[in-house]
Amino acid sequence: MLSPKRTKFRKQFKGRIKGDSKGGTALNFGAYGLKAMEPDRITARQIEAARRAISRHMKRAGRLWIRIFPDVPVTQKPNEVRMGKGKGAPEFWAARVAPGRIMFEIDGVSHEIAKGAFERAAAKLPIKTKVIVRLGEPTGEVTK
Amino acid sequence: MSEAMKLAAGLRERAGKGASRAVRLTGRVPAVIYGDKQAPVTIHVPEKELTKLLHTGHFMNSVVELELDGATHRTLPRDVQFHVVSDRPIHVDFLRLAIGGTIAVQVPVHFTDEDQSPGMKRGGTLNIVRHEVELNCPSDAIPDQLNFSLAGLDIGDSIHISAITLPEKVTPVITDRDFTIATVVAPSALQSADAAADEETAAAAAAESAAEAEAKSE
Repeated sequence: MLSPKRTKFRKQFKGRIKGDSKGGTALNFGAYGLKAMEPDRITARQIEAARRAISRHMKRAGRLWIRIFPDVPVTQKPNEVRMGKGKGAPEFWAARVAPGRIMFEIDGVSHEIAKGAFERAAAKLPIKTKVIVRLGEPTGEVTK
Repeated sequence: MSEAMKLAAGLRERAGKGASRAVRLTGRVPAVIYGDKQAPVTIHVPEKELTKLLHTGHFMNSVVELELDGATHRTLPRDVQFHVVSDRPIHVDFLRLAIGGTIAVQVPVHFTDEDQSPGMKRGGTLNIVRHEVELNCPSDAIPDQLNFSLAGLDIGDSIHISAITLPEKVTPVITDRDFTIATVVAPSALQSADAAADEETAAAAAAESAAEAEAKSE
């Protein structure tokens, strides 16, 4: 699973995901991409599950790029613990994803396979998504 | 070069955020025509027709004839802004073309003869380094696309700009090097399998060395 190699601080504030994505909204590498339509935190486990779903559907063909990275440590308090006594321990890593962010990109496979792979990946993610296609490719929606 | 695309444009009297939003509500996209040492003109174009042209794949390197108040403006689209979530076009920049001028244009790259590439047959993937190549060309002879043949390419091979003959008077903007267009690489799955194998061997080596160290300390 993805996680930072080292961090300056062990714990972070929760934060809020406001507005649309400011970058990473256009296809940069592949011909097909999976775009987030809602804001949410995507955990490293969910990213890994989506990656596996995509690479298994593509059957060792094509290339995959992951364009989000889980760099937010999320803490949790143990069960049946009273409030207070400090912040809980870091439990997992998550990526903050705003609407419009392209999370995965694929190239080297047909449109049908890319669509199937992204449908399977979307099922592993907690947000609504859509498949986007580079301008000039045979089918799909318009994006640059 | 393909035929010029045609778009019916209307004059936009007010510029700015509020006026542009009002225009978008009517199914039209705000746009601007500038260049050729003339004053810029704020216009709007129909969204439906614009989307159709965008789907052709060579909108950005095609001459667009804008019909505005009975006059025809020969232009080249310079930029299209898309909404980050809905991917609808929200603004277009059109550059007025000077007669006989030369212009730098991003021309899309296409690949052919995949079935004649041994690397692709072995499961290799085409890693496109440049989806578009910037070319200096006469404004009346802009290529639709650049076709590169993949025949004879194996895994690890690459295609450079020197692989094709460009039309007359068309030159790449980058001239100091023979830049790469694409490479044939092993697919991600093979690479990740290799990486996993490397990790396993490294882990096994680490475990062995740890066991040796323990044995020594005892």
